[in-house]
Amino acid sequence: FKDDLSTTPQLFTPMSPYDVDLPIQTTEDVLFGSQLNQPKELPTDFSSVDLSFLPDITQDNKEQNLSEDGHEMQKELDGSTSRKEDSSIFMDESGLSYPDATQPSPEASGACPPLTPMTPMTPVTPASESSGIVPQLQNIVSTVNLACKLDLKNIALHARNAEYNPKRFAAVIMRIREPRTTALIFSSGKMVCTGAKSEEQSRLAARKYARVVQKLGFPAKFLDFKIQNMVGSCDVKFPIRLEGLVLTHQQFSSYEPELFPGLIYRMVKPRIVLLIFVSGKVVLTGAKERSEIYEAFENIYPILKGFKKAS
Amino acid sequence: MAARSSCPGCGSAALVEDAHYAQQQLVCAACGCVLAEGLLTTTYAEEEHLREVAYSQSTGQKEQLSRCLQRGIRRVQDLCKVLQLPTVFEETAVLYFQRALQHPSFHLVSLEKKELLGGSCVFVTCRQHNWPLTMGTICSLLYAKQELFASVYLSLQKELGLSVPALSLGDLVKTHLNSFRLFQHTADVPAPFVEDKEKMVARTMQIVELASETWLVTGRHPVPIITAAAFLSWQSLQPAARLTCTFARFCKLAAVDLLPPAHLRLKELLEIFLRMASQLAWLKVFNMDKKTVVKHIGDLLQHRIFLLKRAFCLEDGEEQCATPTGEGSASSPLTAGGAAQEEGCPSEGKRQREGGPRPLLPPCLINPRKRLRTAAPSASDSAITGDEPISDSEIEQYLRAPEEIRAFRKAKAWS
Repeated sequence: FKDDLSTTPQLFTPMSPYDVDLPIQTTEDVLFGSQLNQPKELPTDFSSVDLSFLPDITQDNKEQNLSEDGHEMQKELDGSTSRKEDSSIFMDESGLSYPDATQPSPEASGACPPLTPMTPMTPVTPASESSGIVPQLQNIVSTVNLACKLDLKNIALHARNAEYNPKRFAAVIMRIREPRTTALIFSSGKMVCTGAKSEEQSRLAARKYARVVQKLGFPAKFLDFKIQNMVGSCDVKFPIRLEGLVLTHQQFSSYEPELFPGLIYRMVKPRIVLLIFVSGKVVLTGAKERSEIYEAFENIYPILKGFKKAS
Repeated sequence: MAARSSCPGCGSAALVEDAHYAQQQLVCAACGCVLAEGLLTTTYAEEEHLREVAYSQSTGQKEQLSRCLQRGIRRVQDLCKVLQLPTVFEETAVLYFQRALQHPSFHLVSLEKKELLGGSCVFVTCRQHNWPLTMGTICSLLYAKQELFASVYLSLQKELGLSVPALSLGDLVKTHLNSFRLFQHTADVPAPFVEDKEKMVARTMQIVELASETWLVTGRHPVPIITAAAFLSWQSLQPAARLTCTFARFCKLAAVDLLPPAHLRLKELLEIFLRMASQLAWLKVFNMDKKTVVKHIGDLLQHRIFLLKRAFCLEDGEEQCATPTGEGSASSPLTAGGAAQEEGCPSEGKRQREGGPRPLLPPCLINPRKRLRTAAPSASDSAITGDEPISDSEIEQYLRAPEEIRAFRKAKAWS
């Protein structure tokens, strides 16, 4: 291992190696990337492609997106909010959220005319009744494999932002300021990155940690980056009768005021856990995709609103 | 074998009764041949005195169940006996316990957790039969930490897929008040403090219902609310003698634990009563405060439906009932979702004058604690793609300079 240390600095030039595309093992990326490299050939099978970042499937937008770098996975809240207004958005939903979706007809091939709005593929709340509230992401947890054994004591000695207490926990806790995140780095080379507010920030932060480890002399790679958990929160702005909610949705809810002031709602589709509080604040967690959080909130909002008008 | 007088081997008549260790034998003295040994059957007289052994106490059952399971089942049965639960509960709890212990996630947990598992099974059984048992009671019986009990209970609920109905507050009131030692005159409890149980239970139920309608119950631990309601009802039944008694003293007299949130609940209840009093015609003229309002709790409860409508702003807007609609003390059933008066008022800004109706909202919305709110993602944050180039200087700020490393090495002994 010691020999490796002496030779690795030559393998990695000071030029940031991450400018070179490293194999990132996410199917969506690969699939989408390859598709964007051939702009005129649009896939007719949308089931496995995650298109939820696209604000609107209009011709202008498609061309605009095609010209950008092909490694973007998901766009921001703005894109997601605007999609609520157009019923044609239902075509955007990825196959993960709507497994029983029918495929859109192959009108999107070659130079496409403006796509006509599709009928909703699943019986969700029509756009006119959408809540108008968008949950904000508060925390993203992701993991990545640096694919090399690490000497944690060495890292703790040479890095300013690291803490290592083997008696308490068998990993180095490293923090960076921008994006403000924390990473747990294990001696096997696996790393957990927490605290980011968006998927892209999490990925950028993980790359920065990997760069720090590289600069410390380890042959770190960036394999299998995966978002493991996303947490969002929002406020419905009216108080909620939790006792009533647990009566009507008993099979999904768990409300134990002796233990916890909120109601724990385990939604089945999508598989998200919601913490609902009497003040109207809702916390959503357990998502692997941003769309799951939005979908879960849109599912729970009519239920909660129903309780507001109960008389 | 019939008794013989001569040995079958040698024919000698010298037969001796001897004991080979503990076994009686009839032996020929001449050749040593054993004619008869100890009897193996009982006589008819002996069998008459035998008793029937229940299967659960026989060794048969012991052989089928593991020792851990036996111990756990005994523990569950003991708990049920201590809590004086019906036999049906005991059987159900034992059944749940057996099912749970076979489940892979519970099979190998520590003994402490297995005991808590037994307690959780009893707790679940009680809740499913609407028997008001609180977690606090079970934890004190098991000498368990509540967090550990909570985790065991929640995982039990999840693994076995049990649906546990919510705790019924009405029953809990009766059970909790049963433990109050105020219903008889003793050395500690002077005569003016003794109270009739039925009256106290009825009034406490009314106050708890009122608390539930005014958002004081949702999300809060139920027992402190009941304690505070009991205190107010006790005081209001004979205010002259009891107004001077403090909450803490009351709990000591009643031999009941005073949990910390109970003081806050008391304050909130008094605030609700004060607002209601401000709407009652013959009390409007008086300047009520926390002490004096207690004397009129009886009246306030009697007209509570009307007073709630007047005192609190509802979502259906401006309508204020001119006619008293709440006559009579018919208490509405303690249904959680059905109460009609509690909708948050979005236009609370309209009624901010002193003493005027305030919106009927949970206390956490009325007194929001100032919190540091993280800023919404800024535009620059939104533009992050995750693939930006990372500058060397940014990374180097996180690495120690050589002098630092030397100083660190000297300061710390790196083993």
